[in-house]
Amino acid sequence: MIDIRDLRKRFPNGSEVLRGIDLVIGDGEIVALIGRSGSGKTTLLRCINFLEEYEQGEIRLDGATLWYRNEAHGRRVRMREREIRVLRQQMGIVFQQYNLFPHMTALENVCLGPLEARARPQAEVHELAHGLLARVGLGDKTGSYPYQLSGGEQQRVAIARALAMRPKVLLLDEITSALDPELVGEVLEVIRGLVAERMMMVIVTHELSFAREVAHRVAYLSQGRIVEIGPPSEVFDRPQDPTLKDFLRRVR
Amino acid sequence: MLVLLLKGALATLMLAIVGICGGTALGVGLAGLSFARIRPLRLLYRLYVFVTRGTPVLVLALLVFYGLPAMNFALGPYVAGSIVLVIYGSAFFAEVFRGGVLAIPTAQLESGRSLGLPPGAFFRKIIAPIAFRYALPPYVNVCVMMVKASSVLSIISVWELTLAAREIIERTLQVFTVLGTAALLYFLICFGVDRLGRRAERHLMHRGFMGERA
Amino acid sequence: MSFGRWLGIYGPSYLEGLAQTGLIALVSAACAIAWGGALLLARLAGGRAGARIVDGYVQVFRNTPVLLWIYLIYFAFPPIGLTWPAVVCGGLALMLQNGAYISEIFRGSFKAIELIQFDAARSLGLSWWATFRKIVLPQVLVHSLPALGNQVILLLKDTSLLSAISVAELTMNAKLLTEQTGAAYEAFVVVAILYLVLVVIVELGIRWARHMVSWRPPHHAL
Repeated sequence: MIDIRDLRKRFPNGSEVLRGIDLVIGDGEIVALIGRSGSGKTTLLRCINFLEEYEQGEIRLDGATLWYRNEAHGRRVRMREREIRVLRQQMGIVFQQYNLFPHMTALENVCLGPLEARARPQAEVHELAHGLLARVGLGDKTGSYPYQLSGGEQQRVAIARALAMRPKVLLLDEITSALDPELVGEVLEVIRGLVAERMMMVIVTHELSFAREVAHRVAYLSQGRIVEIGPPSEVFDRPQDPTLKDFLRRVR
Repeated sequence: MLVLLLKGALATLMLAIVGICGGTALGVGLAGLSFARIRPLRLLYRLYVFVTRGTPVLVLALLVFYGLPAMNFALGPYVAGSIVLVIYGSAFFAEVFRGGVLAIPTAQLESGRSLGLPPGAFFRKIIAPIAFRYALPPYVNVCVMMVKASSVLSIISVWELTLAAREIIERTLQVFTVLGTAALLYFLICFGVDRLGRRAERHLMHRGFMGERA
Repeated sequence: MSFGRWLGIYGPSYLEGLAQTGLIALVSAACAIAWGGALLLARLAGGRAGARIVDGYVQVFRNTPVLLWIYLIYFAFPPIGLTWPAVVCGGLALMLQNGAYISEIFRGSFKAIELIQFDAARSLGLSWWATFRKIVLPQVLVHSLPALGNQVILLLKDTSLLSAISVAELTMNAKLLTEQTGAAYEAFVVVAILYLVLVVIVELGIRWARHMVSWRPPHHAL
């Protein structure tokens, strides 16, 4: 379970990008984050696995506070690099593009995490990686380099690589936005498969129809706040907030 | 005459190799310095690169050649020449390596961080190999530059191809033939280095690296 | 004697050397830029043969040291009747060498101009020469500014090689001073600093030029 409380972040130039985010995501739940560019949805995602630092607020995973320690007198201290690294292993993230390491095959990409970060034995990791790549439909391409794979295939390998660490939560940052339309489907298909396994996911996406299909809840962000949140049927069909109505109208 | 020029070419090649190896080693260290957390170290890097790249090789060579004996450091011309090439090259190599690291797409760096890789593995398996591939084309250019820079050492009486050519000219006065042959030999060496570089690039840089070969 | 006094005595001759170097660099750079432009034109107008010749020329000068050409022109011209002063010989070598690199810089900038613009120019009925003057030239010059600046700095540093054929410039100055006074590394340290000053001047000049251009109607890739 992820518990985000009063998350606030400013950019170096002073503008507030997150103005108090409160969000609880249950085990096995899938939350979609939607909104305009600049609404803070990607920043929120990146705060969850601490690719962005934040000034105020707390993020808890299964009860344990992440990234900062609370000291006496309400001060807080950034955790040591080593602790941060270990905590990050509990989350998987897939970016919009340039995920894969170009000098490694698909198999080597997937194996890298468990081999180096968890120091698992090679035979075990290879077997795991083969299995994961087969699961995302790329069992016959384990020896391919990223340049030999289509955009959709690369994203699927990236998902497999994230799954290799057996994360508690998957963070997906607009993973289909950079793909040619005909390649989007194969990636969404893989995500559907994960839904069935009750993997906790936070998905930033523009594909509203997909969000409607897989998300348990959809959160609409505007100007650094979650303005409206609820099941897809409510958020999409019965929007309350005027900016949300406007957003939906423009996107349709 | 040709034999003498060939020997000179060999000397040039040796000097260039020493310069390239030393310059690369020093350059890697300097590039690391350029990413230091402490600001004064980064400024030190900037200063070193500015001074070394902004000073003509000849002036650097004269400084080392004349200046060190004055400080009671008597060095033979080959050692002095090698030192000059290593120092001169190190600044260019450092910038090339730094550029290679900066060229790595952010998502790949963040993927590595998100996997929770320990710093040793992160550097060995992600930063070093990818930065190296981006740095390869400009690296080869700097290597060719080093071969050409070695000719300047002739002025501080380091015996290599250019000095060999000059000696022959003073004896035989066949300017065109001698210098023409010397030019051809330089061309073959530089072109050879360039070809080697292109072969390495083809082997290592699978499409997907946006590297430009000038 | 103290450094200050030494500087007082030899300072003026340094400044003279500095001015000489600056002048040689300026003239050579201007010639090299013109020559580089001519090479680009030759490439464009000469068809496949023209492009091949220019390519060959560029390859020759990329893979050979400039010192060799300085010697070649200096030693080879008198026997065939051309008794030019050393500075001209050296300047010519610098022009030929750097012109090659500059033509490649221009070529890169030229390629960066989108093909669509040529179609647009043709449909407006512009002649080839007018297209070149009004469309190609301004964009190529502006796009090339940073790389040109770098090349000019390289040329500036190469002027030091002219001391090998006894041209009176900054490095020659320092060599003479060293022989006269025996103060070896002070002389060259001062010279190094002066070269760095010249480099900074060129870099500031380029920055100024780029700034000036941004006041005109927007060009690509500034």
